[in-house]
Parts: sequence; C-alpha cells; structure tokens
Amino acid sequence: MKQIEKFSFERGVAIDVREMTLYYGDFHALKNVNMTMPERQITALIGPSGCGKSTLLKSLNRMNDLVEGCRVEGVIQIGGENIYAREINLARLRKNVGMVFQRPNPFAMSVYDNIAYGPRTFGIKKKSELDGIVETSLKSAAMWEELKDRLNKSALGLSGGQQQRLCIARALAVEPQILLMDEPTSALDPISTGKIEELCTELKKQITVIMVTHNMQQATRVSDKTAFFLLGEMVEMGDTERIFSMPKDKRTEDYITGRFG
Amino acid sequence: MERAKEKRLSSARGERGAKLLFGLCAAFSIVAVFAIILFVLYRSIPAFREIGVFNFLFGKIWKPDWESKVTAGKLEYKDIFGIAPMIVTSLAVTLGAVLLGSVFGVFTAVFLSFYCPERLGRAFARLEKIPMLRTIPLKGFVQQIINLLASIPSIILGFFGLVVIVPIIRDISPNGLGVGVLSAVLVLAIMITPTIASLSKNALEAVPREYFEGSLGLGNTKNQTVFRVMLPAAKSGIMSAIILGVGRAVGETMAVMFVIGATPGKFPTSLFLPVSSLTTTIVQEMGYVSPGSIHESALIATGFILLLFVLLINLVLNFTKKEKLGGDTVFHKKLSQAQKERKGEGYVRVYKQKGGIQTALKWASVAFALTIVFTLIYLVGFILVKGIPYLTPRFLFGESKNGAPMLAPAFVSTLMIVFMTLLIALPLGIGAAIYLNEYSKKGSKFVKVVRLFIDTLSGVPSIVFGLFGMIFFCGICKLDYSLFAGSFTMVLIVLPTVIRSTEESLKAVPDSMREGSLALGSSKVRTIFKVVLPQAIGGIVTSVILSVGRIVGESAALIYTAGSTIKMPSGYSGTGSTFAVMMYRFQVEPVKGLGVNAMYATAVVLLVIVAFLNLLVSLVQKHAGKPKEKTKKEKER
Ligand SMILES: Nc1ncnc2c1ncn2[C@@H]1O[C@H](COP(=O)(O)OP(=O)(O)OP(=O)(O)O)[C@@H](O)[C@H]1O
Ligand SMILES: [Mg+2]
Repeated sequence: MKQIEKFSFERGVAIDVREMTLYYGDFHALKNVNMTMPERQITALIGPSGCGKSTLLKSLNRMNDLVEGCRVEGVIQIGGENIYAREINLARLRKNVGMVFQRPNPFAMSVYDNIAYGPRTFGIKKKSELDGIVETSLKSAAMWEELKDRLNKSALGLSGGQQQRLCIARALAVEPQILLMDEPTSALDPISTGKIEELCTELKKQITVIMVTHNMQQATRVSDKTAFFLLGEMVEMGDTERIFSMPKDKRTEDYITGRFG
Repeated sequence: MERAKEKRLSSARGERGAKLLFGLCAAFSIVAVFAIILFVLYRSIPAFREIGVFNFLFGKIWKPDWESKVTAGKLEYKDIFGIAPMIVTSLAVTLGAVLLGSVFGVFTAVFLSFYCPERLGRAFARLEKIPMLRTIPLKGFVQQIINLLASIPSIILGFFGLVVIVPIIRDISPNGLGVGVLSAVLVLAIMITPTIASLSKNALEAVPREYFEGSLGLGNTKNQTVFRVMLPAAKSGIMSAIILGVGRAVGETMAVMFVIGATPGKFPTSLFLPVSSLTTTIVQEMGYVSPGSIHESALIATGFILLLFVLLINLVLNFTKKEKLGGDTVFHKKLSQAQKERKGEGYVRVYKQKGGIQTALKWASVAFALTIVFTLIYLVGFILVKGIPYLTPRFLFGESKNGAPMLAPAFVSTLMIVFMTLLIALPLGIGAAIYLNEYSKKGSKFVKVVRLFIDTLSGVPSIVFGLFGMIFFCGICKLDYSLFAGSFTMVLIVLPTVIRSTEESLKAVPDSMREGSLALGSSKVRTIFKVVLPQAIGGIVTSVILSVGRIVGESAALIYTAGSTIKMPSGYSGTGSTFAVMMYRFQVEPVKGLGVNAMYATAVVLLVIVAFLNLLVSLVQKHAGKPKEKTKKEKER
C-alpha cells in the first residue's frame, strides 16, 4: 500500500472540477460544472432529487466508468492530475479517493475480512500488519470498542448503523486522502446519524470529505462548504454558513427556504 | 515511476486475459453444439451415401442382418435401412405422451398454483383438531413430490414400466403382449408430466396478481378467474413447457427401451403393437454392429435425424419464449372498461354463465394432481418393497465372484465419473456464468448466441451425447470405452446445468457489493473471485448436486462411452458402469441367482441417492436464502 503514490495537493485544493459535462447516453446529466473542493474540509452537495449530486460524486473516483453509455467531458483534477487522463491508474485513484454508499454494503465476510479487504488488495499479507490496520481503522471509525470482540463474526449480522460505520472503517483502511459519501445517513436512525456526523468532523482533521446530503440541517451541522445543484447545473457554492444565511442565487434561496420553512 | 507503469500495464493485461478466458468458457457451448452436429453428421455420411438420404428417411424396411443375405446373393441395399417406421413411432409415441403429460402437467400446475392449501389442516375441517396432521405443509409436499418425480432416472421409469405397467396392459391387450406403443406412451407421460407441471406453474405464477384480483373484482368466481383469465394469460409459458416436453419425449431412450417391444421396422398401427423408436433402435443395435460397417453408420445417422428434430424443437422454443403474456383480449377490454365504469355503478360481470364448467375443471385439477402424487408414491413404494429384501451387504459391497452382480463397482465408477466430470465442468461452467453475468453488455449479440447454444445443448438427447462421445472421445481421441470418455461426455451434459445454476446465484448478488469492492481500488477479477463468487456458493453447490444426480442416473450416454461392464474399473482408462448403467446391464444380461431382483435392489439404491440429493438441494436453497436486495439487472426484467 505504501508503494501506491498519493496525490499531492497544492495550495489547499483537493479537487478541481473544470467545465465538466457528463452524459448518460443522450441524457445531459451534468452541465458545465466548475468547482474547487478544499483540502481537509467537508464539502456538502445539496439539491433536489435527480439534479446530479450522485453523478458528480461518482465521477470523482470514476465509478461512473461502470455505467454503460456514460461520457465525461472537461477536466477533473486531483492534486493537479487529470483523473480522466489516459495514463491514470484506476486502482491508485480509488485507493486515494474512497467512497461510502447510500446503503451500507458490507461484504458477506467477517468484520475483520471486510476491513482487511482493501489492504489485501494492495498486497498486504502479514497478519500482524493487517491486525494493526484493522484496529486503527475501527478506532478511527469509533467502533473498536463495540466490535473488538466480534471481529470474526459476519458483518451482515451488524445493525444498519454499525454496518455503515464499518463501511467507513473499510474505506479508511486503505488510507484514502479523500472520502466521498453519498447520503451516508439516509438509511439510518437519528442516533447512528449523529455518530456518523461526529465521525466526519473527526475525519476532516486527516482527510478531505465530500458528502451528498438531502438533509439541510446535516449540511449546516457538519460541512464547511456547500454546493447547490439544480437540473445538472452547479448553481452556487460557498461557505456553508454564507450559503444558508445569504444565498446569492434566487434558486438557492427558494430551495433552502422551501426546505427549512 | 517506470516500474509502477509497467505493473499497471501488466495488470490491465491480466484483466483482459481473464475476460478472454471467461469468454472462451462461454463460447465452449457453441463449440460443443457444433462439434456434436458435425461429428455425428460426419459418421452418418457413409450411410447416407450408401443408402441414399431419401431411401433412408422414407424406406419402410429395416433389416440390419443383411450380411447373411449378401451371401444368398439377393441383396437390395435400398430398402434395408429405412427408418420411416421408427420416425413415425417416435412421433406417435411422443404425441401420445405429450397429450397425456400436458393434461396432467397443466392441471397439476393449476392445482398447485391456485387450489392446493398451504397446510393439510386447511384441506379438511376435521383434521384441524389433530395438531400433528394439521400443520403438515401440503403444498410443499406436493411440490417436493413433483420435484422428486422429475429427478427419477429414466431407467427406473423404464423398469417401473416393465414390471408394473406392462403386466396391466397385457391384461387388456388383445394380442396378449404388454409391451408396445401404449406402454411406451404411458411411461413417457409419467416422465414428462413433472417437467410440464413445474414449468407451467412458473408461468402461472408469473401472471400479474392484478389479473386475478381484477377478475374477482368484476364479480367472477375464483374458478372462472383461474380457467378463463389466468390460464390463457400464461399461455405462452405453458406452450414453452409443452414444447420442452416434446423435446424430452422424442429423445428419451431408456424409459421406453424396455417397454416399447424392440421390434424395429414396424409402423405403430395399433396401440398394442410392439415397435421400436429412433432412440431404442440405436441403443439396442449399437452393441453388436461391427465397427465401420454401414449398419453402424446407419445407427449414427438415425441419431443425426433425431438430433435434427430436437434442434428444430429448440428453435421453435426459442421463438415462443419471446412472446409476451398472452390472453383473452376480450377480457382485457372488458377489464379496463369495467375499471372505468367501476366508479359509477358497481361491478360488471365479464362472464355471464354460472361457471359450472370451471367448477368441474377445478375438481379435475384436484384429481389429476392426486393421480400424480399417487403414482409417485406407488412407484417408490413398489420398488422399495420389492428391492429392499435383496439389498444385502454382500450385494452392495461384496466382491464379485463368478460374475455374480455386485454394486461395489458401480459405487467406484460413479464416484470416479462424478469427480472427473465436475473437475472439468465446474471451472468451465462457472467461467461461462461469470462471463454471462459479469462481463456481458446489454443487448450483446454474442451473449444472445451463447444463451441459445446453452439451451440447445441442454436439449440434446442423452443418446446423441452418447453417440458423439463414442465417435469423438472413444474413436477420434482414441480413448476407447473408458471412464475418461464417459466423464468427458458427461461434462457436456451437465454443463448447461452448472452455467444456469451459477448464473442464477450470481444474479442474486447485489451490485452494491461489486461497487463496494471496486471503489476500494480492487480489480474486476479480484472483485469477482473474492466478493461475488463466495456469495454465489449456494448456486454452485446446487449445480454440483444436480450434476451428481444427473451422472448417477445417466445411462444412454454412458453405455457406449464408458462401457457397461459389471467389473471394478481399473482406472480412468478402464471401463466402468454407473448405477443406472448397471441396471441396464442386469436387464440385458440377466445375472445368475438374482435375476430381476438385482434390478429392484439397484433401483432402491438409485432412488435413495436421488431422494437424498433432492433433499440436499432444498436444504441448500433454504440455507442460501433469498437475497435481501434485488440487483439492478433483476429489476429491469
Ligand atoms: N445509470 C444511469 N443511466 C441513465 N441516467 C441516469 C443514470 N444514473 C442517473 N441517471 C440520471 O441522471 C440524473 C442525475 O442522477 P443522480 O443519481 O446523480 O441524482 P441525485 O442528485 O443523486 O438524486 P438523488 O437525490 O435522488 O440521489 C437523474 O435524472 C437520473 O435519472
Ligand atoms: Mg443520489
């Protein structure tokens, strides 16, 4: 894992999206998106359903490659490298840009193997080393105490909230620089949601987090920056506080007031 | 940096290599089907050339013992190998069996889908009071019986026909013979009924629930709904089931072999006439032809004609599958009309009659289903009662002296064939399933073709596999009669099962797991092997069990590839008999001491194995459970 090169961020910019356009077949899902996401901060993506938040998120680690007929134009730079350039190594990209999905998706294996899966992919085989990684990852996901006695139990037996935090731990195990989270709490109860929000605030000391959320309060609670999307366009982006207190764009205002009021 | 680049390139190459490998596994079915057609055709050519295709197909006389007449100097080649009577017999017997089997099968399906109570207590009020009986899962029980009946090896059905059906027919037959057309029809009907029943049931259950409720809502009775709405709506699925039954019946060998009368060259002019079909002629005469003779070629050519029939049936099947839900268009019109009107003034009855016919049909479906259940219980019970007394340890495991029949060699041969077959078929089948489910793009032509050939392969009759194995593995590959040749032939037979069963369970693995793995930077191959396949283990295990069942019960494909010795196999290059082949052998050459009882005893062993395997399958399926999250692919369908 050590030999996998990290991206080197310059001037505090983690991700730089330039004139990015995306099509699903004939459908124009993202239109000329421009935005910069700062390093070690939490950027929230908000907007009504179907506006392209997940699409943008998935294009940041090229999970969109899996979708037949998906076409990307423009540039997405991470640490100055265009990730859609030909010579980019997908494994390296995805190792450094981790992802947590809307629904928890632990593998049908033990808790331990779930977390060791990523490191093993990158050639770590030594038991002692893996043990260490499992422990640190679970600790960073604040669930070591909860799970240390159940490491060999199946991950599918955990509660939904635990599963989601396990997925976060699994993503952290490969030491990503950026973590993409697509509505990570939408399938969870309020207590689990609280834990994950806390976790995110903790995580941003180390890594950059981009989070899609439908929940305005969540965005205000955890994020530093917020970007508002509508019909495939990035309407407005700025400090979270500013976006929610004095949006510049009428559409942003309509959306957030509609939701809050 | 350079090294990293090199590594990346090599891993990309590895990915492409893996895709190619899986693609080749998938393409194997295509190669197999072409190989079967070409090699069987190739060895038929001498017969076609010598006899003439027209004379062969339409000739009315079949006289294989022509060599003696050559010396007499009055030989007429043209008429000697005419298979017209056999063609007509095969078609007639198939027609009869399919008519009977469809009636029984479809009514049983109706019973299972609409009338069978879940638990026994629901069926009879009186039983409600007896707690032990009340909770017996009646529906599950009937379903299990159908499954069991479907998996009984054809040689057992043939034997059952010989010892039970033939004597009954003998009593009513004017010529005092039990064997003949009618017996063959009955045995074949028993064989294909469960298949038709299961598939028709699937078709009925695929009809949208709204049809049922819609029709009831319009004031029709349940019986009217079942027979005038649901059944027509499932029409195309039921048609497919019946066509599949035609394919199985026309290609069946062992089930009819003992009961049809073994009289080649006779047209089936009466229900009680002993005759021979295409398949039985091949099995009976292949044993004593001289290699390379026209007689041998004529038998292979007979197999080729059979293969053509089956391919044709398969094509038809392929087309019927594409049809959508059929149904009574009048009903649809009235249904939508009535739904519009419903807001206004209540319901409109679609069918004015009281539904007396449908009520009668309901009871018919109960009766037909009960007949099936009874037949299976009788069949199993009869064989157990007759066979268990002879199931001595000596018979099972003893050492064979003076050629006395023993089953120990069958255990060994069967295990050896199972091992070798799975060793090849599993990787091949799993690879193909991986290609079909993980790599195929939507609407890919290649995948469509592969699926068509997998279906075709699964429709090829055992006897044709046997001929191919004999020609290709024993002959061209110079393996002679051997367990190798038998195993390789079995690979072709079980391959479609392995592919389908594995693919089913791959489909059940949610896409979110694949995404989870890929998002961690894992390659596609690693994702497949570490995340997807381990979850599909249920389907793979199921395919193993089904394959074992197929091998244990197979006879027609093995007799002329692995041989039919009753001796212990000497190794993979030696000959050997599975249980079913052993039974065949006991029939053809009755053995000292035990006679027909050796067959009963072997049948018991076969039945026990088959029942056990069936139980295993349902346990595995229960254990593997239903996937919680449906995959995208499934939703799209
Ligand atoms: N695989 C796909 N193929 C075609 N169209 C797609 C695909 N995925 C998404 N879309 C379309 O692209 C648009 C954006 O989808 P996306 O999932 O990014 O929205 P979203 O903002 O995440 O919505 P939600 O809040 O509901 O998750 C939608 O109109 C959607 O229908
Ligand atoms: Mg989304």
